[in-house]
Amino acid sequence: MPLHIIACVKQVPDPEAPASAFRVDEAAKKVVPAAGVTPVISQFDALAVEAALRIKDAAGDAKITVISLGPEGARDVIKHSLAMGADEGVLLTDSAFGGDSYTTALAISKAIEKIGDYNLILCGRQATDWDAGVVGYGIAEMLGLPSVSLAKSVTVQDSKVVVERVLMEGYDTIEAPLPALVTVSNELGEPRYPKLQQIMLAARKQVTVWGAGDLGLDASKPARALRV
Amino acid sequence: MAPSNELPGSIFFYLIIVGFSAFFLLTIAARLIPFFKAKGAPCLDHLPARIGDFLLIMIGQSKFFRRKYWYSGILHPLIFWGFLVLLIRSLNLLLSGVADPLSLQHLPFHIFDGYKPVMDLFNVAVMVGLAMGAYERFFVKPQRLTLNLDAWRIIGLIFFLMVTDVLANSFELNLEGGSKEAWSFVAYGVSNIWSGMGLSHDATGMLHATFWYTHLIILFGFLCYLPYSKHSHVLTVAFNVFFHNRDRSGVLRPINIEAMMENAEEGATFGVGKVTDFNWKALLDFMTCTMCGRCQSNCPAYLTDKELSPKEIEHHGRMTLLSTTPTLSSLLKGKPAPSGGPLNLVETMGFDSIWDCVTCGSCQYWCPVMIEHVPTILDVRRYLVMDEARMPETAQATLMQIEQRGHPWRGTQFSRSDWMQGLDVPLFDGSQEYLLWVGCSGSLSERNVPITQALARLLLQGGVSFGVLGEEEPCCGDPARRLGNEYLFQMQAQQAIEIMKSKGVKKIVTACPHGYNTMRNEYPQFDGNFEVLHHTELLSRLLKEGKLQPKQGLAETIVYHDSCYLARHNEIDEAPRQILESLPGARVVEMERSRKTTFCCGAGGGHMWVEESKGQHINHARTEEAMATGAQIVATACPFCIQMFEDGIPALEPDEEKRMRAQDIAELLEASVGSVPPPQPAAAGEEVPASL
Repeated sequence: MPLHIIACVKQVPDPEAPASAFRVDEAAKKVVPAAGVTPVISQFDALAVEAALRIKDAAGDAKITVISLGPEGARDVIKHSLAMGADEGVLLTDSAFGGDSYTTALAISKAIEKIGDYNLILCGRQATDWDAGVVGYGIAEMLGLPSVSLAKSVTVQDSKVVVERVLMEGYDTIEAPLPALVTVSNELGEPRYPKLQQIMLAARKQVTVWGAGDLGLDASKPARALRV
Repeated sequence: MAPSNELPGSIFFYLIIVGFSAFFLLTIAARLIPFFKAKGAPCLDHLPARIGDFLLIMIGQSKFFRRKYWYSGILHPLIFWGFLVLLIRSLNLLLSGVADPLSLQHLPFHIFDGYKPVMDLFNVAVMVGLAMGAYERFFVKPQRLTLNLDAWRIIGLIFFLMVTDVLANSFELNLEGGSKEAWSFVAYGVSNIWSGMGLSHDATGMLHATFWYTHLIILFGFLCYLPYSKHSHVLTVAFNVFFHNRDRSGVLRPINIEAMMENAEEGATFGVGKVTDFNWKALLDFMTCTMCGRCQSNCPAYLTDKELSPKEIEHHGRMTLLSTTPTLSSLLKGKPAPSGGPLNLVETMGFDSIWDCVTCGSCQYWCPVMIEHVPTILDVRRYLVMDEARMPETAQATLMQIEQRGHPWRGTQFSRSDWMQGLDVPLFDGSQEYLLWVGCSGSLSERNVPITQALARLLLQGGVSFGVLGEEEPCCGDPARRLGNEYLFQMQAQQAIEIMKSKGVKKIVTACPHGYNTMRNEYPQFDGNFEVLHHTELLSRLLKEGKLQPKQGLAETIVYHDSCYLARHNEIDEAPRQILESLPGARVVEMERSRKTTFCCGAGGGHMWVEESKGQHINHARTEEAMATGAQIVATACPFCIQMFEDGIPALEPDEEKRMRAQDIAELLEASVGSVPPPQPAAAGEEVPASL
């Protein structure tokens, strides 16, 4: 059976937008991005997709499923990942989702459980909006998987994943049994540029959309972590 | 009488003609196969202008008469015009060879007698041209030339063609005489030598026949050799000149992406990844290149030690084409192509070469036979980007940046309307005459913001009715197109055209030559027809009309750097100079490479954002040239050029005191016109007025 890799991607407001484009809504205590700031794929997440594609290139055969949790507009980052070469996309969208890292990890882990037969989960080391870097390990915890952080290289050998994990000076090589979760760092390199033909094929691909109900979560009682 | 008019000479004559012709025609037929399979190219538009160009460039040899190559400017026309004249002689050779009554000698009013001295004159002229060519190849050896045996074979063949012609004629004169024999003055002179030697009639006849047949064999041998030589331009150049692309040199042709999307079966490509995917005119270019190397010795990439040589691009295109074209021997064996298999186009031309091109068009300006190097390079670049996604990292980052953020200036701290602070510039609403197209650089790049502000103040002061698009202004698409992403370009161009049409824009003025070129020459491909002016055109008009009056003296020496996309691609080289000359006290000097022969600043073709990792930096080469004039100011009229100088000057002149300054013409003019109060500098991150 071919490898099945799941890559988690998040849509974020352009982290390179000038600071002047953002306002703080004092009343709601929230940052309001200006209209001119484009939503983009979180850079580390694009690298998670890239890492998955490199494994697929090396194996010759593998299936890559991309999951994103966010508003309807997050479909764009799934399409982008499909254009890069991923095979399938799942969008988790529901007003109950995404309150914080915990609920995000919960919803994504439920979705991964629902997908079932997977071998490897790849996430960016952190999202480039809030830089919390928690969701990936949350997913691993909820699914009871080993997790390795800060990968600069991810390869699959037989039934284990071999990760070069970035250190301050140099790197560790870590092996983990599959299935496992790995978060990818920028040292991996550049995410690939989509070919036009794949952009077109991606445009035609259907994206599966799941809400809270589809994942067996109670939409009326969004779970929230307590404020620490 | 020709030796072939009676048996057995006539058998020999027809054997030669039929044998060589069959060989020649079969070769040509095989060579034409890929041309008939290739994509079409517009080639019959503007017929009267085409005929004019043909007469000027082909018959008139106009592109040879350039000072830089004056030597070839003498030798090539001598040989070429000689060929034209002696074609008549060759025709007569064949006609009289078939039967004496067909000979042109029998034309009424002794027309052919009048031709004789011309013929002899050009026999000599061709030999002079050949001698000059041989001297150049043997002694001078200019670096641009590819020195090989092929050229010597050609020189030798033509030389013996001339010699045998004169010799055959000289013996013929002794055989037949005639009242006007002295008119063939060269052959007559030579014939007197034979007479002086007292050659017998029989010996003269023998020698005449020998040289007559030798001439015939060399003539046909030359013809048959041509397709196998780099001198095949003799056969193709007339077509290449006549069918040349009549777009301006800075224009790229669109790909019909929608149509390709509809039948996007597996393996469909958007750019050119196989030589057979080029249009036939590009293939004809390959077969027309003589490797004279004018393109190479004027190419900014080549001259700064990059991989690219436009000459090699054409040569490699030819090699790749021939590797897929049947040869006579493969045809006889029933094989479709020569053994060894087709060459890989990208590998043969070279990945780096494809990315080194700054699309400055210098190669095309200098090419005497109207080869179009830039579209060929860009077709392959399109393939690399859209079909293979293979490109330098910085090119990829730029394209991603444009795709995600709608402009190429990654990390900018400006918004598109920040520059407008403190300026009373209205948004365009259809009531103004001009749209001031600020451009990505004009609003988002730090060095260009004050230029945009200076221009806006000048327009205000000159009473020009204009508005801007502010935050709504998109990228014009030029960088995406030159970097090979035609798909991204078309999306951006359509967006820009839509916005401008919806606002009722008719006239555009812009300070960016790249935006100017794209909007003026390329938007019509997408039904976007606007009157586009470069800011130097409008400013020089305001000066002429007296609406702007330079007052402040500028007692400095200014050297003007022509932007490729302004001067070479769009022939705007006078307006910027008129503005500079209007500045009181200013002394305007020129660089050697100026106007249409200008040298790229290094930023064209999307290279503003692509790392230059090999050889000398192009902008350093150009900055050196500007500094060598001793000017205190280098004036520019392009947002990229000025940045390349701003980078190049401190790199070459460590002493800040001695540094040349780089300024846009709008800044210089404003300093002289002067009366406008200094503006509030636009600082990043400040509140934009609510009215915007």
